[in-house]
Amino acid sequence: MLKRTLLAATIAASFCGASQAAVDINGFASIKGGMALSNDDELYGYDDDFSFKNESLAALQVKSDLGDKLSVTAQLLGRGADDWDVKFEWAFLSYDLTDSLRINAGRLRTPFYKYSDFRDVGYAYDWSRVPQSVYGLGFDNIEGASLYHTTTLGNFDSSLQLIVGSYDGDAAIGDAAADAQIDNVTGIAWELGQDGYSFRAAYLVGKTTFYVDQLDFFDPDDIPGSGLYAQLRAFGLGALAGELDIVDESSSFAGIGFNIDKNDWLFVSEITKATVDNSFISDQESFYVSIGHRFDNITPYVSFEKEDNNAKTDIYAGVPAASPVFAPVAGLVNSLEMERDIINVGVRYDFHPSAAFKAQYTNADNKTADRKDSVLVVGVDLVF
Amino acid sequence: MLKKLLLIPVLTMSFMLSANVAVIVHPSNAAALSQDDINKIFTGRAKSFTDGKAAEPVNLAESVAIRADFDQKALGRSSSQMKAYWSKLVFTGKGTPPKEMASEQEVLDSVAKNPAAIGYVSAGAVTGNVKVALTLN
Repeated sequence: MLKRTLLAATIAASFCGASQAAVDINGFASIKGGMALSNDDELYGYDDDFSFKNESLAALQVKSDLGDKLSVTAQLLGRGADDWDVKFEWAFLSYDLTDSLRINAGRLRTPFYKYSDFRDVGYAYDWSRVPQSVYGLGFDNIEGASLYHTTTLGNFDSSLQLIVGSYDGDAAIGDAAADAQIDNVTGIAWELGQDGYSFRAAYLVGKTTFYVDQLDFFDPDDIPGSGLYAQLRAFGLGALAGELDIVDESSSFAGIGFNIDKNDWLFVSEITKATVDNSFISDQESFYVSIGHRFDNITPYVSFEKEDNNAKTDIYAGVPAASPVFAPVAGLVNSLEMERDIINVGVRYDFHPSAAFKAQYTNADNKTADRKDSVLVVGVDLVF
Repeated sequence: MLKKLLLIPVLTMSFMLSANVAVIVHPSNAAALSQDDINKIFTGRAKSFTDGKAAEPVNLAESVAIRADFDQKALGRSSSQMKAYWSKLVFTGKGTPPKEMASEQEVLDSVAKNPAAIGYVSAGAVTGNVKVALTLN
């Protein structure tokens, strides 16, 4: 990793007088090109035109050790998909309470998944992208604080993370992004590892609010407004509107993961379930399994993913099919039904001490929409 | 094509002679160290020696040949696997890799001066100013 400690310390010293702040600068980048493999296919933002922008990214991380167990970390990241606009992906301060107990506060990565913390650092794993069926909540970071505890329990390495915070920004409803606010996020993630085996479990809860124009729009001058909820209330169906809308609803996320890295065989699997109570958002159950083998610097792998989102059809069970609201309500609820299987085949080739070449073929079989899409991506992941 | 690619590393490996690695500490350091202890210290999972005193691991740069032997024998991983391992920790603010030195001489000097240091050199390079804690064959 590139260390510019001397230079950075000089700069820091010139700003802070006698301070002895040590600054580490590290970076990572992924340059990827890909395309869908036939005319009508669309997946992960690719269509049949070759794109270098869609999944490429570059980031710089600056960590300054302020001494006395206090440090500050900021990660600036630009994604090709956002026209390379650079944003603060993370910015947090860390305080080491003891050798094994650390508190982080600021903008943090939410520990939903095994690869949450470094999903942007492609070099750290073998796939071209983390399995989207599972890693699909549409948001990664929260503003808050976390307590991180590492220890050994007998022969096991244990790391335990407790987190509290809130999120305000885009999140996914099905395949679309919507304006979301998730308050009172509280969670726990625990990982146990020993000699190439590891097990992980995470559980988080929060209060979710989504704002969707077409559903929520309410114009006080044009009562009952054009939003679906307002129209339902005008029909005297306030209770039904309440079953659908997403206002401060109890939400939960549960995930377990298992990993083996033994004799150059690599096995990893995660199973997750996400729910938003009392809303039209379907219960989302997903999993993946991936198996690979390391032949010195070449690692081929195959993986299978499944996404099973069950629409809450009970919501409109009491609405007569002849009612004028039946079609829009059932349409909305059913739009979040999805069953999709995905197969990936790929290879990682460590052609350089700091860079890996990767190629991955993905085929998605969407059984609900009865369509198949496939995409091929090649690229280089590096750290510096 | 794939078969040929697989053959090349196998051939190169059989021609390389792997050197014995001496893990060295300051002469005043009386802690007993197993390969597992060394693994834990160099992967950041342990921050002190078995006697409870703080440990400061000193690594060699990847350009020094013995580094690959150490990664394989002490840590059981290739140098690029170690880089992937550290990139997980570095980019999450959960850990910092050991300092890297450009030559075995620098490691010898650094360990001779610092009672908390732990490093490694090829077995033939050991001097009287450091103590060999463990030799990895």
